[in-house]
Amino acid sequence: MKKLLLSFLMATACAGIAYAQAYCGSHAFDGQHRNEVQGYIMAGNNVVTDGFGGFAASYRRHLTNRWDVGGDFQAQFGKQLYSFDVMAGYRLPLKYGNIFFDGFFHYNRYDKWGFNETIVNLSAIWESPYVDIRLGESYIHYQRSGHRGMSDGYSEPLTLTFGIGVNIRHRNNPWNIGLFFRNYDDFYYENWNINWGVRFYAPLPRRMRLFGEFNVRPAGSISQLASKYEGSVKLGVKYNW
Amino acid sequence: MRTHYYIIAAALAALVFTSCEKVSPIGVLVSGTAVEDRVKMSHLYYQQYKNELEIKIADDEYTFIVGGDSHVTTDPGRMDEMLAIGLQNNDLLYAHLGDIADTKAEYYIVLDSLIEEAKKRYINKYYDVDKNNPDKYTLKSDPQQSYLYSEITFPFFPVVGNHDLTHNGWALWSNIFHSSFYEFPVIVTNRETGAVEADRFIFLDTASGTMGQEQINLIEDGVLDGSDGIRYRHTFVFSHTNIFRPSSTQFASTFPREETFFLLNQFVHWNCSIVFCGHVHAWDEREFEGVTYLTLDSMSERNSPEPGDYLVRVHVKNDGSLTWEKVHMNYTAKKK
Repeated sequence: MKKLLLSFLMATACAGIAYAQAYCGSHAFDGQHRNEVQGYIMAGNNVVTDGFGGFAASYRRHLTNRWDVGGDFQAQFGKQLYSFDVMAGYRLPLKYGNIFFDGFFHYNRYDKWGFNETIVNLSAIWESPYVDIRLGESYIHYQRSGHRGMSDGYSEPLTLTFGIGVNIRHRNNPWNIGLFFRNYDDFYYENWNINWGVRFYAPLPRRMRLFGEFNVRPAGSISQLASKYEGSVKLGVKYNW
Repeated sequence: MRTHYYIIAAALAALVFTSCEKVSPIGVLVSGTAVEDRVKMSHLYYQQYKNELEIKIADDEYTFIVGGDSHVTTDPGRMDEMLAIGLQNNDLLYAHLGDIADTKAEYYIVLDSLIEEAKKRYINKYYDVDKNNPDKYTLKSDPQQSYLYSEITFPFFPVVGNHDLTHNGWALWSNIFHSSFYEFPVIVTNRETGAVEADRFIFLDTASGTMGQEQINLIEDGVLDGSDGIRYRHTFVFSHTNIFRPSSTQFASTFPREETFFLLNQFVHWNCSIVFCGHVHAWDEREFEGVTYLTLDSMSERNSPEPGDYLVRVHVKNDGSLTWEKVHMNYTAKKK
């Protein structure tokens, strides 16, 4: 009973206060496989667009055991959202875990409403066997190509990026499950609107790994009256060589 | 290992629980009427009383006054001052951007009394007691029209804010103001040409940080697009939640991305002149795609105890042009 109560309190606390990087974190280069490719499909329901679905693909190249570069692409039908990004990262090994310094340049085309969005994000992620914490800043600019022509656009004030994830098993285990709490997803960064949900990965043959997450994305400040905004599921496969 | 299963079970239960339609992620702690139900109720009321909201004026020049985040508690000095300023300046109407009172029944009793008193002062200024029927009032500007007290609409038009919803506040708020999602025209006659023209006032329910599916569907169905055949000179939109953040240190929630872009697009579609927002308790002024966005500072005694420019007055002129200005409030909050 005590264990059950503690487990529930821990899960509730994680759900109430925390985040995660997609797919249970970044994971350090294993020293053998320099290339990673992954793809996932997604489906969900959004207040503005109703049902939506799509796919995403990404590639990472470990240049050394410290430096890596990569790029991602996604298409979300229903939202008519098309995105790509490029990134570069540096891993600083610590006695307990790693710190990843990541820089992303994203481009999003919200075609349904004619908006082009560009984002530069710089983050630091401390990743331990059970916990990962991300802190960063995002520069977000968008403009609309409408009937009044291309607008001058708007640059948001710098937006704080934060998130936390917890795993129930050591990160190096072949399967894992965790919770996340964050104000961003793979291709967007929000102000005080928080995503949270559950994530997992599991082994597949031939250096492949199955991963996925269930993401609840409320609208409104969680300290006030957050409301149902979007729920989505991602399911994908990662392969390295 | 059993602990892991307990954690997984608890996490899944929490996720399923909080992704239900009727339960917000903190719904266990604070319950309230969700945006979908508020909009359905508001829309029903709006459909029933749509025609009563229409404002016709003989002149084609007028002013209106806007304030927000008054958070009325036991010291309603600022709210009282806003009502007095509007009456003194002959403003055609008041608009309020939500968080009108902190959600306690006694604060809403204070608010209701204030608005009733203001209505009496308003009737006293613009109406005479009907000589033929002391229960009725005739407009000073048009003595042919006679109305019961209950038939006279005090022109105070609010949107609902997130603080109006906590602790089942919707029941209190809607008891006084009825609808959180509505629009009405101010119909004017052009002084030179005699043509009938109109300005449109749209009030959105954004208190939950999202419009909700029902409201978006109604907007996409054209419910707020106004009457056919009327040429709108100006469209004014009122929303509690702000679109733009005044600075990096403002962590008040704004709309999620898709909804931000939906709204910015919709405001262009409506050919809006000014969109008024509140919520963040900080002044912000900017233009995007030809639409002016004004985010008003909080006029509440607790958040802004010193006198300041917390209101905005818009002046719509007879040539169709408009100007706006900040309006100073002199009331200083009572020391506790």
